[in-house]
Amino acid sequence: MTLENTRQTQAQMKITNRMIIRATHCLRPAFTGALVGLVAMSALAADMAKPAVVKPAIAPQADQWLRRMSDYLAQAQFFSVNAEVWQDVQLASGQRVQAGRTIDLQVRRPNRFHAAVHSTRRNRDLYYDGKSITLLNRVQNFYGSISAPASLDEALDAASERFGMALPLEDLIVSDPYKSAMAKVTAGIHLGPVTVLGVPCEHLAFSLGLVDWQIWIEQGARPVPRKIVITYKDEEGTPEYTAILSNWDFQTKLPDFLFAFEPPTGSTKISVAEIKSKNEAHKNGVK
Amino acid sequence: MKSTKISSVRNVGIGLLALLAILPLVYGQRPQPSGRSGPASRDALAPRSEPARAPEQRSPAMVDRSNHGNIRHVDTHVVQRSAEVPHRFEQHQQILVHHDVEVDIQRPQFWHSFDFGARRHSLREGCFPLWVSGLPYYYDDGIYYQQAGDDYQEVYPPVGAIVQALPDGAIAIDVGNLTYYYAGGAFYVQQNGGFIIAAAPMGVTVPELPPGAVQISVNGGVAYQFNGIYYQPMFVNGVTQYMTFTP
Repeated sequence: MTLENTRQTQAQMKITNRMIIRATHCLRPAFTGALVGLVAMSALAADMAKPAVVKPAIAPQADQWLRRMSDYLAQAQFFSVNAEVWQDVQLASGQRVQAGRTIDLQVRRPNRFHAAVHSTRRNRDLYYDGKSITLLNRVQNFYGSISAPASLDEALDAASERFGMALPLEDLIVSDPYKSAMAKVTAGIHLGPVTVLGVPCEHLAFSLGLVDWQIWIEQGARPVPRKIVITYKDEEGTPEYTAILSNWDFQTKLPDFLFAFEPPTGSTKISVAEIKSKNEAHKNGVK
Repeated sequence: MKSTKISSVRNVGIGLLALLAILPLVYGQRPQPSGRSGPASRDALAPRSEPARAPEQRSPAMVDRSNHGNIRHVDTHVVQRSAEVPHRFEQHQQILVHHDVEVDIQRPQFWHSFDFGARRHSLREGCFPLWVSGLPYYYDDGIYYQQAGDDYQEVYPPVGAIVQALPDGAIAIDVGNLTYYYAGGAFYVQQNGGFIIAAAPMGVTVPELPPGAVQISVNGGVAYQFNGIYYQPMFVNGVTQYMTFTP
């Protein structure tokens, strides 16, 4: 190889290098743009991979009124209330009728509860003293007890999920009624002022999709519920449950003996069946 | 230098334009939560005059809640539930009515008047004869009779009796893969287009005792007996029901 050949080769290499540097210089912004685009697309792809979450459509006034009621009930250390309940029943003949009952409820937070449920042929009491829940059938003089967790919320859950029984008006008893009620709500609207048995109230309506519920909350300084309606759209005949609430009392103290069960004379203790729930099966649409 | 800057800006712009061109294609494939085809995300968040529809809607008559009246446990459904069988003349033959355990409604049935040993001079129209184990009986909507002189005497439902229709107010009880129909102290199972009285399954709960069940004491506890079948009271779903058992 001659010296001249070497010089020519070096000169060609310099030209080639210069072309590569120039090309790189020119393309760098394009690469940068593409890189930015790729990063943005990655972020979008990650966003799209998440399930679409539908935020409940809750009217602000409905939310505010429910929060007011919830806060009022949650801060009350004790209260008593009466309820008249009317419930749709579809007979095997297809005819729809209503059945009624009354509930006298006493609650003392954080762990006392008593309800007396009366109807024409039934008369029963439920006691919760922070340690156990006791059922009393006054007509046949039977009673039965189950051990229960130490808080009202946990006791309500255990009663429902392990023993298949919902304690009366439990949505008003829990420590945070707003959080409990709104957990599954998909929509809520405020329907304005309405009078319930002469008491000015605010009418709210919420939906869980297959179950709708309405509540009428007293206007003024004592925002307590005066009426509750639950409509079960996923049951034959879309039956409704209606509770009219009265005699709210936040003044009269509720002593221990109200919540302590004493077996009546001649009563017989019977067992309480534990029943497995099939919550998950239902949620998954399994019959 | 100036031309280089212009060129760089142009190239970045080309990259972003290409990205913007892709975006609508990508978004077009994204499922709309409410089934709308347009840009509905803002609408979905805003309060509306009507409640939003649930993401999925199931047909009715699928739910067997033990209780009504609460939101907290609206999805709690218990396994052990009985259902009233539709009236035999009713059109809605597919409906099994699950009554809320709290509901207090009197549903009188003819067989509620059963009185073991009671005699009648005549039977109602529609009553029909049948043979069980070689013995003649008469049947009328859940009540069985045998001839006693010139009278008809009410007797316990005989195991093996076959009837064409269930007594009104019969309750369906699933035991494994078999469905029993309970009415008037008898447990029927479907057989060849009719219903046959079977031996009582043990460990099943029924919502009410047969009329005329006698209270007895078993191992110091309260129980009831009817036609050789023993029932133990217990709270099920928070109300008193009765479980069949062998003492």
